[in-house]
Amino acid sequence: MYLKELTDISGVSGYEKKVREFIMEKIKEKVENIKEDNLGNLIAFKKGRERKKLMISAHMDEVGFMVSNIEEDGKISVIPLGSVDLRAVIGKKVIIGEREIPGIIGYKAIHLQRDDTLTPPSINDIKIDIGAQKKSEVEGRIKIGDFVAFAPNSMIHKEWFSGKGLDDRGGCSLLIDLINKDLNLAYDTYFVFSVQEELGLKGARISAERIMPDFAYVIETTTSGDNPEFSQDRRSTELGKGPVITPAHSGYVNDERLFNFAIKVARENNIPFQIKRRTVGGTDARAIALSSGAPSLVISIPSRYIHTPLCVMNLSDYENTLRLFSILLEKEVE
Amino acid sequence: MKDLIKRLTQVSSPSGRETEIRNTILEELKGYIDGYEIDKLGNLIVWKKGKSGEKLLLDAHMDEIGVIATYIDDKGFIRIEGIGGISPYNLLGSTISFSNIMGVVGVEGETLEELSRNIKDLNFDKIFVDIGCKDRESSEKLVPPGTFGVYYSPFIDLGERLVSKAMDDRIGCAIIIEVLRRAKPYHDLYATFSVQEEMGLVGASTVAFNIKPNMAIAVDVTSHSDTPKGNKRMSLNLGGGPAIKIKDSASISDRRVVEKLRSLAEKNNIPYQIEILLRGGTNAAALQTTGEGIISGTLSIPTRYVHSPHEMIDLRDVENAIKLLILLSEEEEVLI
Repeated sequence: MYLKELTDISGVSGYEKKVREFIMEKIKEKVENIKEDNLGNLIAFKKGRERKKLMISAHMDEVGFMVSNIEEDGKISVIPLGSVDLRAVIGKKVIIGEREIPGIIGYKAIHLQRDDTLTPPSINDIKIDIGAQKKSEVEGRIKIGDFVAFAPNSMIHKEWFSGKGLDDRGGCSLLIDLINKDLNLAYDTYFVFSVQEELGLKGARISAERIMPDFAYVIETTTSGDNPEFSQDRRSTELGKGPVITPAHSGYVNDERLFNFAIKVARENNIPFQIKRRTVGGTDARAIALSSGAPSLVISIPSRYIHTPLCVMNLSDYENTLRLFSILLEKEVE
Repeated sequence: MKDLIKRLTQVSSPSGRETEIRNTILEELKGYIDGYEIDKLGNLIVWKKGKSGEKLLLDAHMDEIGVIATYIDDKGFIRIEGIGGISPYNLLGSTISFSNIMGVVGVEGETLEELSRNIKDLNFDKIFVDIGCKDRESSEKLVPPGTFGVYYSPFIDLGERLVSKAMDDRIGCAIIIEVLRRAKPYHDLYATFSVQEEMGLVGASTVAFNIKPNMAIAVDVTSHSDTPKGNKRMSLNLGGGPAIKIKDSASISDRRVVEKLRSLAEKNNIPYQIEILLRGGTNAAALQTTGEGIISGTLSIPTRYVHSPHEMIDLRDVENAIKLLILLSEEEEVLI
């Protein structure tokens, strides 16, 4: 499990290099073939018992920002990369660019807000503060186009893990574990660590078109809804209740056969699981189905507060998702 | 023809659960086609050989909108989410069939005021399906979370006008089946019955990749303007003939397809309408951007109350669409 290492690396959409390098180090001895494609997707291959192709993917990128301008007063304006929860970013620490310059996300203090405490801040008013008074102090250290990522902040408390970027480093960690487990794979398996999911499923589309798999699994870290203000029926998923098997989400009904197969395998092996109760949000499964025509299924680890600087995961869900995938990859799809 | 439309519309096959409708279509085509194939996503591809060497593709999507059961409470009430563009307003008071387990739709409201408010701002959080079970266990046995459902709505024969759920797009399937049955095509005639159109043109995105047709036509329903205070920015009348689409919000039909259909209709005295749809799209948008691009357009059947349990069409438009497409496939002239 590499949750701590992976979530502490910066890798916002389009800037996945460090994540890719870390993963490459961890798996290169364990696979038969590994390559990086033109977009930056990392594709690792292991032979299976049968000559059918299975693709299993997780995305490397996390939501964050990009520097769009350096203002006269030394404040840095940004644009979001992916759908960042702007209500949760004020006063949080970030790191900027290759040189990892620290900064704070600034906004007017609560004392100076009136009715606008009820509305999320606008990206136009959010500025990054790196402790500079004028533009010239910033220039040379930070340039337009530098990435802005939430600062590393992982913590473990008993069976709870928290950190930034769990969506989808949780999936990346699980994919590394699956590679390193030396499973008796049923099919020729392509392990894909994809880029730019948060910007519209970009990387997975290209990898799927190249691989042309017969089936595909996507490992995601998905939103939970186990907040006290939600009644049971409106909770998208809940922590501690096992992997989330998705029947349908925005833009794609997940493959019926794979869906039923995953449920059957979970039941037979006494692995707790939950069916996702919401259909909002899309995943790489749509991109894979649309580009390669491969039937696809998403199975996710539930997580609280995704798309904020601190996501929370229950490690029992991680373990159970790993157990489920370990069996799925060894079995022929029924 | 009515029997075929009745049979196709009454099959329950929402997006992602098309097995039953695929089998039904295959049965109806038995003896009329030269071959078929089912691709990885579940699209049904059939063909009938011609002699020109050119390929004409007709597409209809075989899925319909529906719902999915997501959660069952202690008293056995089922919470749902939509599959495709299904409106909670149409669901209110409707009947849902979960693989032949029937349920009715109710709405929350602890006071009369709250009930009115909920109905005014209706969404999926406020409605539930009641299948007559008294507790979670008995409900879960019949409709486990993840079960798909569709409107239960019988076929109504009003003479020239026909009403049913799922006219969108079983009427397109019926038209293409009839074309395949009756035509002696000059061009190789391919037909795709594609999956998950209602989820965002999923099946059609890859279905034509290997066929590489010279021309593709999506056959689908469109809207109408001929009801009291119907949309005055468009002109689409039931019974006015099949509609040759110029544009909708997903694609612009290739001019060559439009002109070909229009001149064929005029030469043969087939009534037709010209369609500009303000909102909505068809598989033509996905076909156009397949591979190196396919010359595509849409032939539509004007339909009232689309995406409700009671979609209404006019049989004369259906017959005229069939005639037009048969002429197109049989005409001994270059397609493009």
